Amino acid sequence: MNFQFSPEEERFKEEVRHFFLSEKEVVAGARKEWDSGLGFGSNCWKILGKIGARGWLCPTWPKEYGGLGLSYMFRYIIMEQMHYFLNVYSTVGAGMAGPIILKQGSEKQKKQYLPQIARGEVEFVLGYTEPQAGSDLASLQIRAEDKGDFFLINGSKLFNTRAHYSTYHWLGARTDVNVPKHKGISLIIVDLKTPGITINPIYTVGGRRTNEIFYDHVMVPKENLVGEKNSGIYYIFEALDYERISTVAGLERDFQEIVDYVKENRPSVPPRIREEIAELAVEMESAALLALRVAWMLDKGKVPNYEAAMLKMVVSEIEQELIDLAMKILGPYGQIREGSPWAPLDGKFEWLYRDSLENLITRGTSEIMRNIIAQRGLGLPRN
Amino acid sequence: MDFDISEPQKILLDSARNFFQKEAKDFARKMEKDEKQFSMGFWQKMAQLGWPGIVFPEEYGGTDGDFVDLLLLLEEMGKALIPGPFISAIVSGLAILHFGSEEQKRKFLPPMIEGKLMVTPALLKPEARTKGGQNVEAVIPKPGLCELIGTRLFVPYAHVANWFIYQTEFGERKTFFLVEAKSPGVSVSLLKTIALDGQGQISLDKVQVPQGNRLGEEGKGDVISARMGEWGALAHSAFILGLLEKVLGFTVEHAKQREQFGRPIGSFQALQHQCADMVTEIDKIRFLAYRAAWKVSQKMPAEKEISMAKARASDASRKVCLLGIKIHGGIGISEEHDLQLYFRKAKAAELAFGDGSFHREIVAREIGL
Repeated sequence: MNFQFSPEEERFKEEVRHFFLSEKEVVAGARKEWDSGLGFGSNCWKILGKIGARGWLCPTWPKEYGGLGLSYMFRYIIMEQMHYFLNVYSTVGAGMAGPIILKQGSEKQKKQYLPQIARGEVEFVLGYTEPQAGSDLASLQIRAEDKGDFFLINGSKLFNTRAHYSTYHWLGARTDVNVPKHKGISLIIVDLKTPGITINPIYTVGGRRTNEIFYDHVMVPKENLVGEKNSGIYYIFEALDYERISTVAGLERDFQEIVDYVKENRPSVPPRIREEIAELAVEMESAALLALRVAWMLDKGKVPNYEAAMLKMVVSEIEQELIDLAMKILGPYGQIREGSPWAPLDGKFEWLYRDSLENLITRGTSEIMRNIIAQRGLGLPRN
Repeated sequence: MDFDISEPQKILLDSARNFFQKEAKDFARKMEKDEKQFSMGFWQKMAQLGWPGIVFPEEYGGTDGDFVDLLLLLEEMGKALIPGPFISAIVSGLAILHFGSEEQKRKFLPPMIEGKLMVTPALLKPEARTKGGQNVEAVIPKPGLCELIGTRLFVPYAHVANWFIYQTEFGERKTFFLVEAKSPGVSVSLLKTIALDGQGQISLDKVQVPQGNRLGEEGKGDVISARMGEWGALAHSAFILGLLEKVLGFTVEHAKQREQFGRPIGSFQALQHQCADMVTEIDKIRFLAYRAAWKVSQKMPAEKEISMAKARASDASRKVCLLGIKIHGGIGISEEHDLQLYFRKAKAAELAFGDGSFHREIVAREIGL
C-alpha cells in the first residue's frame, strides 16, 4: 500500500503546476469564460491548444495518435491541475469520445479524429438525451436510416450542451426499429456543419448555455459509424463510465476558499458550524481518496464501473454540502450576486448554488448512480 | 500510488480468516454470556500466532509489522466480531514501547506479547455531572512513591488486567503511572454496557505506586495521552470497517434471498439505494483508515488523518448498522440473528477513543480553525 506519488510523478506535478502559473492571463481568461456558462471562448481554445501541444490532453494515448504513451496517473495529475486552475479538467473529445474511437473505431477514424482531439483543436458534443429519453437512454428515438452509403437522420436531441462550440456530434441514433430498444442504437460521428442541422440555445438556472438540436433529413457518410451497427448502447455505457471520472481539485479549492473566509471574517464561528466545516473536510478527503482509487484502477488496467458511479455521486453530493454550508456561513449576504461590493467572494457561492444543481443530474443522476452501485457493485437483482 | 496489499499481508489475512473460521464461530455471542467476557485460552492462541506482537520489535518478541498490517488484521477481527482486549493491549504496549524506560520495556513487553501479562489503559475520569459516586481525585507525592486516589471508567477488561496504564494529572500536566492490579487499595468491577464487552470501573484508594512505575519522562504526559488516543482511534476505525463490511454482507445476502410481493426485496429500488449508501460509507471509511495507517507506518504525522478516519467510522457505523437492520426486517431485531451483536458492538467501537464530535474538533484544529 502506498499513498503518495512517485518522485517522477511529483516532479511532473510541479512541471504542470508551473506551466499554469506561467500562463496566468490566459488561464484566468479561460476560467472566466468557462464559469460564465457560455462555453469555450478564445482563451479556452488558446490554453487547450497549449496543453494539447505538449501532449497533455491525451497523455495516455499512443504517440501515433497524439498521445505520450504515459500511464494514467500522469493524466490524473494533469486533470487535477486543469481542474484547479481552469475548472475544465478534460474535453468531451479527450475524455469520452476519444477513448471509444481508440477502442472501437476504424484505423481511418483513429487517424482522422484522434490527433485533432489530442491537439485540443476540436470539441465533441454528446448526443444522447432527448425529450423523452433521459435516464432511460435506450428509449432514444432519433432515426438514422441506412441508405446504403449514407445514413439519413431525422429527429431531435435535448440538453446537448457543447453543441454551439463543437465540431462534431457524438450521436446515439436508432438504426433498427424491429429489435428491443437497446439493441437498435448506433454511435455515429456527425460533422455539425452538415446541412439540415439546427442548434437552438437553452439556458439553465445557473446561466449555463445548453442546446436543443434538430436533424432534418441530414445525410451522414456510412464511414462515420463507430464500431458495429446496433451496438452503440454498449459504447455509450462505456463512455459514460469514463465520463463519471473526475478529480476533486476544484471542489477542494472552493472548500479552502470558504475556510479561509471563515478564518479572516468569522473567527468565532458558532461551534455547530465549526463541526460542520470539520465534517466537510472529512467528506472532501474521502472523495479525494475515491478519485485516487479510480485513477489507480485505470492505471492498473482495471475498468471502474461502480467505483466511477460512486465517485460521481459522492462528488456531486458533497458539492451540495459545501455550498449549503457556505451559504449558512455567509448568511443573508450569500444571496447577493456578483458585481455588488457587498457580494462575498464575488458572489461565487450564489452562482454555485444555482449552477451546481446540474451536477446532480448530468452524466447520470444520483439515483441512477445508486442503481449502478447496487446492481453492478453489489450484485442486487434488477426487477 | 498503490491500493493493493503485499504478498505477506495476503498471507496474514488468509491465516486470520482461517483461524477465526475455525476457532471463533459464535465466539462473540459466547463471550457475552461468559462471566468474565474473556477467554484466556483464545488469547493464548492469538499470542501463539504472534498477533499481540504484530507492531512490536523482534527484540521484545514482536514480529516487526507496521500499522498497515495491524489495520488489515483488525479489519478481519471486526468482520469476525472478535471480542477481547486486543486493541487495548496494543495501545498499552505501544505506550510502553515509545515512552517507557528500557527497564519497563523489558519487564512488560515480552510477557505481554507472549500473552502472559495483561495491561490495559485506565484513562477516563468520571465527569462531574454523573452521580456514580464521589469523584475524589488525588496524586500525593511521598518519598520514593506516589499515592493515588481516583476512579476510572470504561477501562477495557479491567477485571482481567494485571496492570493499568493509569492517566491522571499532577499539577497542570497529564501524568501516567503503571499500577499493579493486585496492589492494596485497588478495586475493580465490571460495567454492564450495551456491548457486554468487558468494560470496567476501577477505584484507587490510597494506592502506593513506586516512582519507578511512572511512565514517561517529566512533561511527556500530554504527548503520551495524544498518541494513545491516536493509536486507539485508528485501531477502532479498522475494527469498525470490518464490522460494517460484514453487516453489508449479511444485508445484501438477505436482500437477494428474501422475497416479498413475488420478488426478491433486493430488486426494489428503495433497498438498492440504501445498500448503495451503505457500501459508499464503507468505502469512504476504508480509504481514510488505510491512508492514516499508511502514514503511521511511514512515521509521518497523521493526527488529522486518524481523526478523519475515526470521525467517519464512528458516525457511518450508526447509519450502516441501522440500514442493515431495517432491510432485514423482523429478524434483524431478533436476539437469535447475529446482526444485533454487530449493532451493539458497533456502538462501543463508535465511542472508544473519541466519537465523531470529538474527532471533528481535532480536524477543525488541524485545518487551522
